[in-house]
This record gives sequence, structure tokens and C-alpha cells, in this order.
Amino acid sequence: MAGSAGGDRHRSRPGLVRAHLEAIATAARRLLEPPMTMPIPDYGDARVPGYRGVVLFDYDKCIGCSLCAQICPARAIKMYRVPGDKRLRPGYNVGRCIFCGLCTDICPTDALSESIVHDRVYDDVPSMDMDPVDWAVWSRRVLEEERKPGRPLLRARVDPERGLVYERVDAEGGPVAEEKGEER
Amino acid sequence: MTRLLLPGMEGRVLGERGGLRVVELYIGAQHPASGHMRLIVYLDGDMIVRVDPDIGYVHRTVEKLAETREYVRVISLVERMTIIDACNVTLPYVEAVERLLGVEAPPRARYLRTILCEINRVSSHLYGLGLGGIFLNHSTMYMWAFGDREVFVHLASLLTGSRLTHTYPVFGGVRRDLPQSFRDEFEKAKRYMLRRLREYDKVFFNNPVIRGRLEGVGVLPREKAVALGATGPNLRASGVRYDARMTGYAAYRDLGFEPVVGREGDALERVWVRLREIEASLELVERALRELPDGPFIDERYTRAVPPAVRHWLEKGRLKLPGGYVRLKTRPGEALGRGEMGRGEITYYLVSDGGMKPYRLRVVTPSARNVVLFDALARGHTLMDLPAVYGSIDYFPPEADR
Repeated sequence: MAGSAGGDRHRSRPGLVRAHLEAIATAARRLLEPPMTMPIPDYGDARVPGYRGVVLFDYDKCIGCSLCAQICPARAIKMYRVPGDKRLRPGYNVGRCIFCGLCTDICPTDALSESIVHDRVYDDVPSMDMDPVDWAVWSRRVLEEERKPGRPLLRARVDPERGLVYERVDAEGGPVAEEKGEER
Repeated sequence: MTRLLLPGMEGRVLGERGGLRVVELYIGAQHPASGHMRLIVYLDGDMIVRVDPDIGYVHRTVEKLAETREYVRVISLVERMTIIDACNVTLPYVEAVERLLGVEAPPRARYLRTILCEINRVSSHLYGLGLGGIFLNHSTMYMWAFGDREVFVHLASLLTGSRLTHTYPVFGGVRRDLPQSFRDEFEKAKRYMLRRLREYDKVFFNNPVIRGRLEGVGVLPREKAVALGATGPNLRASGVRYDARMTGYAAYRDLGFEPVVGREGDALERVWVRLREIEASLELVERALRELPDGPFIDERYTRAVPPAVRHWLEKGRLKLPGGYVRLKTRPGEALGRGEMGRGEITYYLVSDGGMKPYRLRVVTPSARNVVLFDALARGHTLMDLPAVYGSIDYFPPEADR
């Protein structure tokens, strides 16, 4: 325990045969327990509440203050000139984003928000670099996917016996009673 | 000189001594047990006469990059040195800048920082134990430690919203308040981990095979540990009662922190210290949760300037920053930040010329200090003992190379 003089490791040392048997028995007991991993891709990860994923942009709420581009540590957000718009608007490069969420913290109008998604697939590298309009359209699509997930969702929970266990939840995070989910 | 090809390694014969070949052996940088580095090992027969750690493969010029960024943007930069120990690596930097800014985090923020630091320490130690296990071909320990680390990564993501790179402490406070479910989840995690530690003892620590590989290997006597400047669990395993947390930063003074100290200084003792530190960290988090003071989680100086339209986030326990936060100017001067990471003491030396960016940020990471141990500890042992020595030092190349 903390603060003890230490070096008491020899006192509790069991005999050679017993130690071998204990090691094998301890490992063997674990064989019977279900795995602790999440069954991806059959299930999606529902994430914890407040998870920081890709940043979503609401064009209508933006006032073009450029604070997000200034605070972005990875320079993932840059200001663009949009035709027909007097102010500069932020564009977003997902490939550079480190999901720190500082842009959403400093946004004075809630135009930026975090989604719970970070593991999306992109066709090519240029499609990861979005101008303000692309970003706003893409954000709406991500939000829709978030509301209607393509696969059943599981949420991790700490269990005192088994470490992490997963339970079925719906898109809002409410529990879903299903035998498959309980089993996991 | 004859080239020598061994599985995963390359070497050359340097000559002969007493009928035995003297071999220079290159382990890494692609070898699975070398990490992002190369070890050049000189062998006399099977005995190690010298180890040259060839470091710098993951050098990312963190110190220089820090001079080109505003203070707040440097937080997530320095985090990249050790993403598995993110709060411990950023906190001393944040405290150093706070000293120059003249702000102090409110008590609740200091406690929350401590909570995340200790959770990070547990996951960092589990990471080290897992790698130490696989270095000795103990796959069970590797799988178990990495699986159980997931519990603490989950706890950290509950608190911060991010699994590894939390960017949690910011100047004047922290970025999220404690979520409601956290206490309950931690209570379960603690019970689980304490039970698992007893199983670790049986399957790994008291396992005669592991004892045979670690006991008496790479002994670091107390005087030598001090002379070489070893730090962290490696230093404490040699019987030195020193831990940067004893300086009482964050909430450690209020919590009455006491370090875990070993005696023997061999590889087994270093593992023992880590295992007992996991227990101590769990204890600390529990105490911090019990004594967690009420109040704001960020200094009022910054919340006052937050626009009214987004103030509702602060009541929901999420940080909103004022616009001026990007362009914070510190007073000219120097500040030192010290903190204890999972692997030892990290020091930041920050020089400011009064601008918006650091004039100079010097970082000394624990792994950079512990790299001398490779040579000091492995000499005189057989090549087979080298993975045991490496695993017990818990060396992390990205942290040392910066």
C-alpha cells in the first residue's frame, strides 16, 4: 500500500509448485468468461454522452468571427471566401482534425458542435477537405446518420465482475431490451 | 568483418576474445520489441558488454513547434508526446503558463485534474505492464493489462469526452465538470481493478517463470539511481522516496499524498512498484471524489467574458471560452512546471517575452532521463535479459524523442 516501506514481495511468495498451479488456474478460470471486446462491425459504438467526434457546422448560426480557425491547434479549420457572402466562413479538413473540440468551446454562437462520430470513411483525400458550404451539407448528413444509425448500437458500461460490458441502446441512448444485447 | 543475420536482427562480428565471438547486434528499428528506436548491443559471447540506445526516430520538434503557436494551442501539441498519459503530460505546462498569467485554478478544477491524472497513471502503468509482459512472451499479461486499461480509458472518456487525447486542463481550470455517472462507474472500476490486481499477482508477479526472468535482473542500487538521474517508479524501486507529486501540485497536498517506495531495485521490484501504484492511484481518486469541493470548474476571469448566448453550456458542466482566450498574453518572465507522469517526473521550463506565444519551451520528459538505464542495467547480463530490462524500465520512445 502507499507509504509502506516496500520490498515485502518476498513475504507472500508461495511455493514453486503452488505458484505454478495458481498461475495456470487463474488464467484457466478466465477462459470461461466472455470476451471484453465490442463486436464490431455487427454493432456500432454508441459512445459515452458528450463524446468528442467530428465537428459539425451550422452555416446559419455562424457570424464569421474566425475564432475557430485561430484556436484550431492542427489548422484543420481555415477561413474561406464564399461567393455571395460578405464575411469569411470556416472550412474544415477532417484529415487534419485531432478532435480536441476547442473550436466548439470558443464558438460564440453554437454554430459548431461535436458529433459522436469520428470513424467515417472518405472516398479520397480531397473529399476530406471541405469548404464552408460542403461542410454545412456534410454536417447535416452526419447528423441524420447519427439519428438513424445503420446498425444496432452498444454502449460500454463498467461492471465490477467483468470489467467492461456492453448493452443495447437506441440512437438517443435509451436502453433497448433485447436478448442478444443482454447476452453480450 | 562478417555480417550476421539473425531473425529480426542484424549484426556483425567485431572479433574474437577468449575463443568467443564479440558481436555488434542491431535490434530495431523495425524489431517488434525495440519500440520506435534501435538498440545497438555489443555482445561478448552471450554477455552484454555495452548497449547503445539509438534514439530520435520519432523526434517531432515539439519544443520548436511550441514557439510558433499560441499558448492554448500548445496544450494539444505537448499532449502528443505521450498520448497514453495525456493529462499528466499537459498539466505541468498548463500550471507553468498559469503562473505567468497570474491565474489559479479553482479548488474543484484542481481536484478534477488530480482525478484524471491518476486515471491516466493507472492506464499508463497497465500499458507498461502489458508491454513488459509481452517482452517476456507472457501473452496473458499483455492481453489482460490492455483489456483492463480499456476500463480506465472508458472512465477518462466519460470525464473528458475523449479516449486518449483529452486536452482536459486549460488555463484557469478544466474543460468539463464531473458527469453524474462518473462516481458510480469509478466505484465499480475500482472494485474490479483491485480484484484483478490479485489475479495479476498470481498469473504474473508470483509466477515462477516471470520471477526467474525478473528477479535479480538489472539491479539499480540506490546511489547509482540517484547518480544516473533515473526517475519515476524506476527510482522509487531503488528505495528513493521521491515523487514530484510530493511537491503538492494540483490537489496532491490536500489529499496527503504518500509515494510507493521499493527496496531491491531489480526488474521485479520495478514491476512491484507499478502494481502497488495502481492501488495507490485508485485510492487517491476515491479520496478526491469524496472530498471534491463545490464551485466553478474554471476561473471567473474567463467565464465573465463568455457571450450570454452560450452561457447555458457552463451550467451544463461544459466549458465555453471567451474570444480573447486565443490571444492570451503572459507577463514576460520564466516559469517552471513540474509533475509526475506515469513514467516519472516531467519538467517544463517556459520563457515568455510577453507575447502570445512561448519564447522558449524546454521539456525534459521522464523517458529521456531513463534512457541511460539501458546501458547501466543491461551490462553483464545475457541477451535474453535485455527484454526483461527494457520491459521493467517502461521506456516510451515518443516521449523521450519529443
